[in-house]
Amino acid sequence: MTLPDGQEPEAKPEPGAEQAADAAASTPEAAATTPEAAGEAPKAEKPAAAAKAERPARPAKEPEPKTAPRVAPPAGSVNEAVAAASGVTLGAAYLVPDWKGESVAVEVSRDDVPAVLTACRDDERLDMKLLRCLSGVDWQEEGLEVVYHLYSLSKKRGVTVKTRVSYDDANVPSVAGVYPAAEWHEREARDMFGINFTGHPDLRPLLLPEDMTDHFPLRKDNPLQEIEEWQGENLREGAGEEEE
Amino acid sequence: MVAEHERSLEVVDIPINMGPQHPSTHGVFRMVLMVDGEKCVDVIPHIGYMHRGGEKLMEAMDFRQGIGYCDRTEYLAQFSAELAYVMAVERLMDVQVPERAEYIRVILTELNRLSSHFMFMGAFGIDSGVFGTSFTYAFPQREYLQELFEEVSGDRLMYAYFRVGGLAWEVTDNFVQRCHEVLKHTQQGIRDIDELLTKNEIFIGRCQGIGAFTAEQAIANGLSGPMLRASGVPWDLRKDEPYSVYDRFNFEIPVGNYGDVYDRYLVRLEEMRQSVSIVEQALEQLPAEGPIVAEKLPRRLRTPPGEVYAKVESPRGEWGVYLVSKGGDKPYRLKMRSPSFCNLSALREMCLNQFLADAVMILGSMDIVLCCVDR
Repeated sequence: MTLPDGQEPEAKPEPGAEQAADAAASTPEAAATTPEAAGEAPKAEKPAAAAKAERPARPAKEPEPKTAPRVAPPAGSVNEAVAAASGVTLGAAYLVPDWKGESVAVEVSRDDVPAVLTACRDDERLDMKLLRCLSGVDWQEEGLEVVYHLYSLSKKRGVTVKTRVSYDDANVPSVAGVYPAAEWHEREARDMFGINFTGHPDLRPLLLPEDMTDHFPLRKDNPLQEIEEWQGENLREGAGEEEE
Repeated sequence: MVAEHERSLEVVDIPINMGPQHPSTHGVFRMVLMVDGEKCVDVIPHIGYMHRGGEKLMEAMDFRQGIGYCDRTEYLAQFSAELAYVMAVERLMDVQVPERAEYIRVILTELNRLSSHFMFMGAFGIDSGVFGTSFTYAFPQREYLQELFEEVSGDRLMYAYFRVGGLAWEVTDNFVQRCHEVLKHTQQGIRDIDELLTKNEIFIGRCQGIGAFTAEQAIANGLSGPMLRASGVPWDLRKDEPYSVYDRFNFEIPVGNYGDVYDRYLVRLEEMRQSVSIVEQALEQLPAEGPIVAEKLPRRLRTPPGEVYAKVESPRGEWGVYLVSKGGDKPYRLKMRSPSFCNLSALREMCLNQFLADAVMILGSMDIVLCCVDR
């Protein structure tokens, strides 16, 4: 097995691993003495790592960024119309890729969500009558996020509204009254992420068993069963061997 | 105090359980209908019997492995589900798909729409009381299509044929000829269904004026696909946000007038004719030669960090994939916006004040796939 340098640290970063790899790359002797630090090879593959350490270590690649660079939308984009229609001070607005070109994502504080979405639905300039998707995302130490994808059938454009809450206070006002379509999506997000949608008419578990109210499977602190991880890892082994 | 023998006639709503094992629920779906006489006053759907945590599993799969899981989620419109997923990854990686691959994708996706609608026609006919007759006409036609998919992909149901950047392998040498052969059967099949059901008195009696939704109701409830178009909203992603090469074909978007169960049937029937037309045009325009996978694609696919919401018009409506990546070879979060799930959420509102027997028709007209509802 040949592990290209700098590949593993990106896959599973550990605190200090990148600095260690940098140090190892600058001094080949150090790499020879600490192969784990250079390649971060799993314990079971020590012989392979030792054999590899005989080769001179290549310079480590620059670590990939973990978040996309945020590009502000051009003037006159939909976020300005949203701000004008709702009268709410919006958070950051940035471009996200759409099928052709880009669409706009705006961040709002959770208390403003119903006001912003009501304005999006009712304002003539926006006329976004369709809530096409509502998703929860677990950003771990950065909290939980709810993402609303809105779309206007008449204007043929959409906007992505996002809001973040912390784990300890995972309450978001429900928009089931604004968009009836959100009702099941919110129940699903509560099932999977434990986001409590205040004011929701019926927040019983939807996809999960009815008594399963204290366990949120899609949160990142819920690891998969060992067998499922193993399948993924095992199949991945050798998948990218020929190239890179 | 009124004595026991003097009290007036007691009227109560009776809960009737339907499912999860019931032939008319099209899968493992349960609903509790509160009936006042024959009318439904409340409907409580119970889903999740088939929930397998697919979104979580896909977080552990790399971008190539995830394709196979799409088939298992939407097992009647597999190519649509695969297409949405690979489109999401392609958009994040900024991969340009070769033209020939795009055409083959469109051909297969549209043929898949035909096979899915044949399934609907068969099952819906049974719901309406035509018993097995509709199935015996629809299923042989679906079989021709599945044979073609098997020739191309090697599998009858779980195709996993689309790849990020193109297709898994070249289609068979006689692909174009085979498509034409299958289309002949398909057109005959559409005529059969049309003659069997459209003017069938029993069928009309069971369908017309039932479960009607206005355009406003349909949009507010997040309906999409034939369900939305039956309510008179001409919204089709193939026209309104054209993806792949759909902007190169001439086709109509059929819409209904009344938004009832019968309109949903008619819209689907007309959609099948339009799909045949799209496939014929695509076969004509299909480049005879050319690459089928994008060049310079690494074996281990890695996306830059970012997010994208990709959507395709599946036979049931908008199939969306919200993909969040933190970089690397696996999704950080993947939400499948399944049209069955969104359409089914309107079931309660649609069934209110309808007869108990009509609830079956309304559910049948949604053409749900329970695997895709539960994920």
